[in-house]
Amino acid sequence: MDAGLLRSAGFRAGIVLAVLALAAPFLLSGNRYIAFILGMTFINVLWASGMNLAYGYVGLMPLMFAGVAGIAAYAMIHLTRAAGWPFWLATPAASAFAAAVGVVLGLPSLRLKGFYFTLCSLVIQSVLTLAFIYFPAYTNGDTGISQVAPPEWFGGPLHGAAFDFVLAAAAVIGVALVALIVPSGLGQRFIAIREDDVLAEAVGIGITRYKILAFIIVSLYAAVGGCFYATYVGFVSPRAFDVLVSLNVWLMVAFGGRGTVLGPVIGAVILAPIPYLLQDLQGLRDILDGVLIVLVILAMPGGIYGELRRWRSRRARAAGRELAEQRA
Amino acid sequence: MSDATLLVLMSTVSTGLILGAIFSLVAAGVTIVYGCVWLPNASNGQFFLLAALAAWSFTASLGWGSAAAVVAVIALGVALSLLLERVLVRRLYDVPNRNIAYFVLTLGLTQIMSGIFSLTYGRWSDQFTLPPLLTGITMWGPFPMPNNRLAVLVISAVLLAALFWLLRRTRYGRALRAVFQNREAAALRGVDVHGVYRFSFVLGSVVIFMGGVLFALAYSFDLTVAWTMSVTAFAIMIVGGPGSVAGALVVGLVFGFTQAVVSIFASPTMATFSYLAAMLAMLLIKPTGLFNR
Repeated sequence: MDAGLLRSAGFRAGIVLAVLALAAPFLLSGNRYIAFILGMTFINVLWASGMNLAYGYVGLMPLMFAGVAGIAAYAMIHLTRAAGWPFWLATPAASAFAAAVGVVLGLPSLRLKGFYFTLCSLVIQSVLTLAFIYFPAYTNGDTGISQVAPPEWFGGPLHGAAFDFVLAAAAVIGVALVALIVPSGLGQRFIAIREDDVLAEAVGIGITRYKILAFIIVSLYAAVGGCFYATYVGFVSPRAFDVLVSLNVWLMVAFGGRGTVLGPVIGAVILAPIPYLLQDLQGLRDILDGVLIVLVILAMPGGIYGELRRWRSRRARAAGRELAEQRA
Repeated sequence: MSDATLLVLMSTVSTGLILGAIFSLVAAGVTIVYGCVWLPNASNGQFFLLAALAAWSFTASLGWGSAAAVVAVIALGVALSLLLERVLVRRLYDVPNRNIAYFVLTLGLTQIMSGIFSLTYGRWSDQFTLPPLLTGITMWGPFPMPNNRLAVLVISAVLLAALFWLLRRTRYGRALRAVFQNREAAALRGVDVHGVYRFSFVLGSVVIFMGGVLFALAYSFDLTVAWTMSVTAFAIMIVGGPGSVAGALVVGLVFGFTQAVVSIFASPTMATFSYLAAMLAMLLIKPTGLFNR
């Protein structure tokens, strides 16, 4: 009944947020440090939206997310450096490659359910991390690759507020794509698989096909974000793509609100800046992340946005009851 | 056979036995809790490290003997697992598909504990060594075996035997295995299912703690041992069959010998790599593992 109203309200909120996001790089361009945190937040918004598609809508928890981003970043760096490709050509190619690798690695595990899929993806992530460290021909091992060249942009290298703007645009497009997919037939099939895969299969949804499709989309999100990350930070190492990163992106989705378009955005905006604010205190960051994970699992499975919506609908119902009592 | 070959062989065998026994203990702790409560403890490596670090603190800072430290760590393990059960684990007992929630919950615990360790112990030292339980060396032909490691091996073997006896022969063990097999039927026959959950969580955690103390007694260690142990224990559980203690024992010994052999020819990291590969292969081919629970 009020789903249409909610959607239009969400739509207006989305437009406002998009305009804000696109304007923010110029509003905050005075302080490079703040602007950098903003740029990293946009990359994480993109990542969280992709993860949300898998975790929030299909019900998969792909912990090899960061590994796929890493494959794309290393492939992109290799293509631009060794083959001399421009960033804007290398990124789609590297992303397609990373998504293909992700699907090949993930394909056998897609028929496993719940915990076993998650464990499998964690193992694959660990193998990828070890591979990044122990095959230094492409990755330069633990030392990492520094001075990754920024993308070219109308003749010059992309930098400053223009780069932040490009990231904002990528984030807005990423979120908008999720918002388009969810109400579509594809999104509804994803949700059907999440809710009850046996039932979904029974009404003729090819589960494995749609899971693979979801997996490709998620891998592409991870990969594009990884390529932007590499050029924006200018430095990559295996640590930038380890399991903690996957878990952190998952946390943004779960903490913000899984299965909602705006929830992961909220999660990313709150959680992405934390590492840069607690820069020297890696241990404290780990503790904070861990506490939030425990909190999300035990106390707020809907995340911030989910709990907010529940609270609002409860309040609306209570107000309705009061009104009815007054009339009676 | 020349003395040199014999020496290498015997040292491989002794390392393999000690590592295998400790791996088996930790994996048994993980697999008991998974089989019974459906709780895959991803933070088992951190429990293991906590036990080792606590033993180090008791001996290095408080100046206790190793034997006293071992007893104190076991008491700490019981107290901590009871606390965790009450505060966190209990809340998810009746949730459907709770294994994934538990898995993520313990990943969160892992992060909390590794953060605490890197802020505290990580700043104090990067290599931790405990004073030996026994001093002296016994010669086995040409091979010098430290009495301390022999003691560790004997204690691990006794603990494993005790664990088997507990699960096979006692009332608690029978109740635990009944819940393993069918929770509803066990409840109908008058088994206090939640009580068994609590018992198995505490038992499993304490077994992991014992593994950590024994490892610390036999070898010096650093903070990365948590991650390696976590991967190893999960690999053993998956390959051996989730919930199968016999599987944990056999595969644990096999992995212990693998580690001992691979460490001679290549780095221990390659051994970890092979565990990951074995686990992945097992998950994809036969997720129920080699042994039935």
